[in-house]
Amino acid sequence: MNRINSLLAGVLSSRWMKALAVVGMAGVAEAQGGNRWAPFPPASDFGHRFSELFWLITILCSISMVIVVLLLLIPLLRDRARPGHKANYDHGSSLHDKRLTAVISLATFIVLDAWVLAIAMKDLREAYWNMPEVDQAETYPIEVLGQQWAWHFRGPGLDGEFGTPDDILEMNQLTIPKGRPVSFQMTSKDVIHSLFLPEMRTKKDVNPGSINKTWFKPIEAGEFTILCAELCGYAHYQMFGNLTVMEQEDFDEWEESASLLGIAAYDPEDEEAQWAWEWEE
Amino acid sequence: MRSPFTQLVCLATVAIGTLSSFKALNFFGSDPRADEDHSQMIAEELPHARPPRGVPLTITEGTWLRAPGEEWIIQQNELARKQGLEPRFTEDPSAADGEGAWIDSTGFIQKRYDEEEDFWAYWQWVGPAQLTRGRRDFVQFCSSCHGLDGDGYGRSGQWLRPSPRDFRQTNFKFTKVLANLPTDDALKRLIKRGLDGTPMLPWDLSDEQITDIVQYIKSLSPEGMGWRDPFTGIGSIVEAGENPWAGRENFAIKHGEKVYHGVAQCMLCHPGYVNPRDLPGLLDQPEDTVYRENLYLPVLKDSEYEVLGEKVKILPPDFTFHTIRSGQTPQDLYETIASGIKGTAMPAWKGSLSEEDLWALAYYVQDLVEEYKDKPAERRGLMERLREGL
Ligand SMILES: [Cu+2]
Repeated sequence: MNRINSLLAGVLSSRWMKALAVVGMAGVAEAQGGNRWAPFPPASDFGHRFSELFWLITILCSISMVIVVLLLLIPLLRDRARPGHKANYDHGSSLHDKRLTAVISLATFIVLDAWVLAIAMKDLREAYWNMPEVDQAETYPIEVLGQQWAWHFRGPGLDGEFGTPDDILEMNQLTIPKGRPVSFQMTSKDVIHSLFLPEMRTKKDVNPGSINKTWFKPIEAGEFTILCAELCGYAHYQMFGNLTVMEQEDFDEWEESASLLGIAAYDPEDEEAQWAWEWEE
Repeated sequence: MRSPFTQLVCLATVAIGTLSSFKALNFFGSDPRADEDHSQMIAEELPHARPPRGVPLTITEGTWLRAPGEEWIIQQNELARKQGLEPRFTEDPSAADGEGAWIDSTGFIQKRYDEEEDFWAYWQWVGPAQLTRGRRDFVQFCSSCHGLDGDGYGRSGQWLRPSPRDFRQTNFKFTKVLANLPTDDALKRLIKRGLDGTPMLPWDLSDEQITDIVQYIKSLSPEGMGWRDPFTGIGSIVEAGENPWAGRENFAIKHGEKVYHGVAQCMLCHPGYVNPRDLPGLLDQPEDTVYRENLYLPVLKDSEYEVLGEKVKILPPDFTFHTIRSGQTPQDLYETIASGIKGTAMPAWKGSLSEEDLWALAYYVQDLVEEYKDKPAERRGLMERLREGL
């Protein structure tokens, strides 16, 4: 009775909240300069999966919100007090009402939540967790070191090995080639951070003491955003950077120059700059 | 369904069942984990940030800091008159107090007589309220890189190369002044426009906030150094006179190339942008002149900047690859070249080179940036030309 009502109320309010959140996110996306009412387009090959799921949830939530609001209107209008009609109070405690509530709840769960969860799991399995074998010729490896409050990136340079003078070191800036899988191995110097590349539709925690791996394949050249998505201290807001995706040809030139200038800038006495680990196969 | 409780149990069973079947199907299990020993080793090898210390935010005592001299005061007054404002400082020494101090209308600047040295130095009194405001903004906006006590070793700045300024060393790279220390205005300009290509952002703070931060930064000078040293000079941003190449920019670039590789010997540290085979012809030098190895790359130079007592080395920029820190217009470049970059191998060139040469260099460097920076195809061609026959 009351419990069912409160259950229903809980479901209702959560749907409301989701719908509101979606409208809010669309607003944020618009402020980002993307299409009106659409988040910035994905720039990685599996990014469309995220966008599709996002829109599926948005549409499902919007539809269910409309249905629920309309259903709420029925008793509000039908049972209200008006001339010649006394207000009709009902706690929904009859067996019929209880059954109806249970069926609607179950249907909502199966149709909406389980559906969305299944798609999400499929995406994770087929794309996000489906890391390519690291073949140097095909995959570009990057070592990431998060710290309070900056991102360090290390490319292997011309020799393809990490921890050598020709490594390409970048701070709050990452340059990668277009059209090749980019494989990340990441760790943190101090607390938990999270590497968030919104246009690439990928985000992964960066933990001290362990190496987390992630990957994506950029399909657009251009400038994108790097953020930290884990509150990591008072200057967390300063922990952002710029992701540059270059056409393979341009990248080759860039990589060679950056690697040669890396050798020129290499100072063996500068111990803090020597972080690197053996790439884990 | 007999009771709401039964219904809840049913719902929970469905939810748990779904989740555990996902688990059984290894949906969650394919997240790769590093093997324990290796990651532990990395954690031990990484130098860790120093533990945070207590941060007193309130400053209870004011301090005397060096101010620019008499000329500066007269200049300020002229500026105010030009803008139709009341002059800020009195120019009449008889208005000074008994100790020979000149007081401005706000009581801000005083002149103090150093009797022992028979030396006139100008000092300004900075009160505790302003220092406290400055410290609070400093902690909020600057300390993540520059350190809570301004030592240039804030957490974000630790692995930054070149490292953030240690304000206790009272040495600033891009102030564009000819003296040892910059005026407040020079520092304010630096904070407002930031340094391109570095995490020093163009700070969008109010004028009052930046003024307070500047006073606080100055107050970090150790005793007898920087703004607490009566003998150190304070200067305004170097003034670019008339541009002698106006309307003849192409000639300026040509001439700049000669100055860059010739008189000024920029290519001793920065890359040379002419193939060594063609240099003797360009510079009228004997055919068998030998230039340094790998002329197309810059050379790592020592600097005066220290991190934890260790000198930091700085790589002079390759103008076709690196981002120029403090402006790319010929005017900006003139200021940088003329005033030099303090604490590094880059000297102040004003006086050593003629105005014509200085401007020509500025035009040449600007041309390099325009032609090759962020243009991979063009830059590839340049590099091939430079390395040909090496
Ligand atoms: Cu972080």
